[in-house]
Amino acid sequence: MIKSYKLRRHISNALIYLILGVMCIIWIAPFVYLLLHSLRADGAAVSNGELLPEWYTFQNYIDLFSGTGSSTLNFPKWFLNTFIVACFSCVISTISVLAVSYSFSRLRFGMRKKLMNIAMILGMFPGFMTMIAMYYLLKIMGLDGNLIALVLCYSCGAGLGFQISKGFFDTIPRALDEAATIDGATKNQIFWKIILPMSKPIVVYTVLTAFIGPWTDFILAKIIMGDIQENYTVAIGLQLMIDLDHKTTWFQEFLAGSVVVAVPITLLFLKMQKYYVGGVTAGGVKG
Amino acid sequence: MKKVLAIILAGMVTATAFAGCGGSGGGSTASGSESAASGSESKADGGATIDANWPDASMFGDETDIDLKVWAPDAAVELVKKQVEEFKKHYSEVKFKNIEVRAQGESDAATNMIKDPEKGADVFGFPSDQLDKLLAAQVLSPVAKGFVSTIEANNAEKPVVAAKEGDSLYAYPETNDNGYYLVYDNTVVTADDAKTFEGVLEACKKAGKQFVMDAGNGFYSCTFAFTGGALIDGFEADGATQKFVDYNEDTVVKTLMAFAKLMKTYKGTFTSQDVANISAGFKNGKVAAGVDGTWDSNGNKDALGDKFGAAKLPTIKVGNEDKQLISLFGYKYIGVNARTKFQRSAQILAYYLTGQDCQTQRAETLGWGPSNTKAMEAVSSDPIIQAVSAQSQNAVPQVKIAGTFWTSMGTLGSEMYKDGWNPDDEAATKSLWEKVVAQIRDE
Repeated sequence: MIKSYKLRRHISNALIYLILGVMCIIWIAPFVYLLLHSLRADGAAVSNGELLPEWYTFQNYIDLFSGTGSSTLNFPKWFLNTFIVACFSCVISTISVLAVSYSFSRLRFGMRKKLMNIAMILGMFPGFMTMIAMYYLLKIMGLDGNLIALVLCYSCGAGLGFQISKGFFDTIPRALDEAATIDGATKNQIFWKIILPMSKPIVVYTVLTAFIGPWTDFILAKIIMGDIQENYTVAIGLQLMIDLDHKTTWFQEFLAGSVVVAVPITLLFLKMQKYYVGGVTAGGVKG
Repeated sequence: MKKVLAIILAGMVTATAFAGCGGSGGGSTASGSESAASGSESKADGGATIDANWPDASMFGDETDIDLKVWAPDAAVELVKKQVEEFKKHYSEVKFKNIEVRAQGESDAATNMIKDPEKGADVFGFPSDQLDKLLAAQVLSPVAKGFVSTIEANNAEKPVVAAKEGDSLYAYPETNDNGYYLVYDNTVVTADDAKTFEGVLEACKKAGKQFVMDAGNGFYSCTFAFTGGALIDGFEADGATQKFVDYNEDTVVKTLMAFAKLMKTYKGTFTSQDVANISAGFKNGKVAAGVDGTWDSNGNKDALGDKFGAAKLPTIKVGNEDKQLISLFGYKYIGVNARTKFQRSAQILAYYLTGQDCQTQRAETLGWGPSNTKAMEAVSSDPIIQAVSAQSQNAVPQVKIAGTFWTSMGTLGSEMYKDGWNPDDEAATKSLWEKVVAQIRDE
């Protein structure tokens, strides 16, 4: 048994740092690999078993955007598609999530409890269960293979994910609402002018999750788009780059594309990051 | 709460009913088009002329404003578009609205077809191993009877026979080349070395370069078992269990041991990698030979230029005997969607696309080995096509293969390739082989 407290602390710290270090490397290795190999210059191999590329080049990124050598792979178009879908579904679903949360948190109406339960139950079903049904419904409406269909699917059910922001709204004292009501504010005004400005962190969280959705969703987008390659989003498009037909020539561009996808999400996060710090501490009831 | 549930359930039921509507609507169009197809058959029997490329224009019947969708793999899209233009020009008296050519990888053509045949292509290419799936899902329209005898006369026998079910032919043979062969850098491996597996590996080792074969992939590793005589022979009577021919287990085990021995002896030279690495390896000089398929032919040719060499798979020494490696070999077909609205036009287009001219053009620009015998003669000097056709003599047709086949054969290859595997351990090899067979046959 080690007597010295200092030594014991050093040893335990060393162990903890070692474990954390290993976990950190495991977690970050795929990202580093992706980034380095997207700059690899030795031809078009899938992983050739090398950890670090021998030569580096930007050519993969240039090829990705110029899209030569294929009649269908059009990354810039896919990127634009995804961006448009992401923007629309982000705006619609953020508003609907926040509105639903506010209603459940502040308003009292007949079916309130029951609706919340139904929402919980529906939310428990795995999403892909309804995908085929959704596809056929969209087909009846003539929306399959269409970007509007994606916006609809991503944003219309978004209100069901109200739990987190409702929980947040519940922490804002009702005294604020009451004070505003005495001053003559309507429920609508309270939502926009009192509650929202105080809920920046949760607004940011909602915006980010809604924006990321279209960039990462694969299954639903694939089912809806079918063979309409010009309306693909980046997720399906990137997968197309590594199918049997394209893998030999497009693998490097696939890696580059995966890196590029991270850019808009990162930019949005950096832009909104500062609001994370603000939030409730900035306002609230004094005394 | 109960009431609410009832409402939700009612909603779900209506939704499914709607989806059902969509399906049944499609069904009725399918039956309608079938009758149209039988119409075209009788006409063809009635003496309309059909040559190796062009059926008579009268076979279009009363179809007008023809709107078709064609699926072709990305690499072939440009060419197929050109061929479709030719098609429209040839039948100038027929009114076409649009013939659209879309890229669709052949590897998942069947999956996408079955998902929603109504939205699938009217005319589409697919490899032979997807035939069962497509037939089971009833998305293939049988080849118009009037075309069958011409197709039989003009094409190699095996691809035609493989696409038959009962009396009907279910797809138009497009290629007779869907397999793998030996590619090599002829500055390292001589044509003589390429005759034996040992020779190829020795030459690669001397040059300090790699030999690539995807031993963990069932598509390639089944070669190990086939070479030993454990050939597959369609399904058992239940239509799902893989049937093997009667083989001598001792020979299989001995052959597997010979393969494992080579992997061990030439460790570092024999590497199991994705075949995509072969062309890249040729480019950067790390790879000197490999087992690759026809779909990568152009990439490998570009990478090696003048140094490109191709041959049938080599032989391997088992005991005192040189055994020819036996591979899996498939065909590609063009099928007609059973739900297409323009059944006659789709059949004629499929016939034309698999005709002599189109096959020759694809062989020349894409390197696809024709199933049409005359087209084959036209390109038979091509070294790849020679290699592929030589290998096709030593191959098992890639039809009627159980879903369990691929991963189990993959396990066989990857176990043998593992560092710790002892190639001289007969008992272990035997038990591995028995395990693999049990897995394939799901016993």
